[in-house]
Amino acid sequence: MTLLAIAQVSKSFGGIRALAGATFSVEPSELVGLIGPNGSGKTTLINILSGHLAAEGGSVTLDGRAIAGMRPEALARRGIQRTFQITRAFPRMSVLDNLMVVGCALGLTQDAAEQRARALVHELSLTRVIDLDAGHLSGGQLKLLEFGSCFMVPPRIALLDEPFASVHPTMKEIMAGFIRARHKEGQTFLVVSHDMPVVVELCPRTVCMNAGVVIADESTRAVLTDPVVIEAYLGQAAA
Amino acid sequence: MLRFGNRDPNGGDLVVSLGILALVAVAPAYVTNDYWRGVLVVSMYFAMLAAAWNLLAGYTGQFSLAPAAFGMIGAYVTGMLAYYYGVPPLIGIAAAIVVAAAIGFLLGRIVLRLRGPYLALTTLSFAEIVRLVISNSIDITRGDLGLNVPGIVNQRIVYYYLMLVVLLAVQLGLYFLLRSRAGLYLRAIRDDETAAASRGVKVVVWKTNAFTLSAAISGLAGALYAHFAQFISPELGLLSQTGIIISMVVIGGLGTLPGPIGAAFLVYVASEFLRDFGGYQLIIFALLVIIFGRFFRDGLWGMVRKLVAGAKRRAAPPAPAE
Repeated sequence: MTLLAIAQVSKSFGGIRALAGATFSVEPSELVGLIGPNGSGKTTLINILSGHLAAEGGSVTLDGRAIAGMRPEALARRGIQRTFQITRAFPRMSVLDNLMVVGCALGLTQDAAEQRARALVHELSLTRVIDLDAGHLSGGQLKLLEFGSCFMVPPRIALLDEPFASVHPTMKEIMAGFIRARHKEGQTFLVVSHDMPVVVELCPRTVCMNAGVVIADESTRAVLTDPVVIEAYLGQAAA
Repeated sequence: MLRFGNRDPNGGDLVVSLGILALVAVAPAYVTNDYWRGVLVVSMYFAMLAAAWNLLAGYTGQFSLAPAAFGMIGAYVTGMLAYYYGVPPLIGIAAAIVVAAAIGFLLGRIVLRLRGPYLALTTLSFAEIVRLVISNSIDITRGDLGLNVPGIVNQRIVYYYLMLVVLLAVQLGLYFLLRSRAGLYLRAIRDDETAAASRGVKVVVWKTNAFTLSAAISGLAGALYAHFAQFISPELGLLSQTGIIISMVVIGGLGTLPGPIGAAFLVYVASEFLRDFGGYQLIIFALLVIIFGRFFRDGLWGMVRKLVAGAKRRAAPPAPAE
């Protein structure tokens, strides 16, 4: 059964139509890239999928059940975890507590949460800063921490909004390796990124949006050579 | 084994809190003057209010301006029950906790979506409304004339240790609460509500819980104060009282366990010394709050912690990196 189905979703801000009937779906265990020029509606869509914005029209279903209008905490409990383009963590809590709070909120016992958190910290090479407050981390470490907190309890789907933006190549590699390994185990991802080489390398399938609608949805190679996509990024002359 | 870690509050915070209370416990051996023992009892009243407000402002990030109002509500609940119906103090105090908690719950629900200055202004209006209603309902509350409240016992020293035991219970309760998963949720909400929600923390539930518990503790403090002072008036709910509570928490260390109760004694005893200066004492505390807020965000306890950490580092240089 389709894991996440997005159908004709629309959303306006004042007179601007951020989403004008976006439609696509994600199957279980898929790793899908989501690309598109700035302002094409990618983040708005992620915000709707995670409950931070309400769609004005269309429908979103997770495992066949409508989730439109549900609140972020309810969606998190149903297995939608996300990262934010501008990284969000709990600055006055230690790295360990940052992760533990997610585990506890999703139903783990404190001991189980601590075990999971320590394993994740190790996997993400954050062991040396485990007792540091998140507010004292570097930008890249903070991204890794936020990224890791999505996987305290394996989500039904992880929505990653620009996980690789302004991150040191070493950390990018840690993250990409993490995504690859989890994908092999059957974890489902939707990854928003401007980093085309990473998208090409990671995602077998890519959805491209422009002006609030999906303009291409096929294998990543095909999307990148699609004249419609090139036109969206570079204008008509280039295509 | 005690899990120390750097979980906030940690075992060290608890030890220092208990140390402060131990000092207060032996103080009557040296403070034999009844007046000054009374000053310490009132300090304990403020310490409870400060601890309650710290739970809300320091650990949950909800900057309410109503702590004194909840103390006043607690005082009037038990005071009026005793005055009109002769209800015994123990039941009156229990009722004060319940009523304050219920009002705290309602206020928490009302201000749920407000943040920062909006939350502060709304809770401030609430506090002033409660005070004005009590002050103007002369037929019921005797207004500014105040209300005589029966005492519980005759000896001041018994009140002293009663207050101390309750303060100890409050402090221990807060320690274990904040060490539990609830503490994680509250601090997550304080640091970033949006992130907390998107990770599955039930923000609405935990904010309401924090409001309710903070109000309950304040109500308890007010009720105990009423039976100790044997006289209550709407002055208990003056904004300047809230100002004193805030100055205690900020000077001691917002969002630390021992800071607010330690500073409650320092500030209140100091304000007794400064009594001759009349209104100037508030100006002094206001200045201190500004200085601490600007330069020493973690208050006195934060300074102590930094000094201790520095001394430790000097004593034992860090192990070489793996």
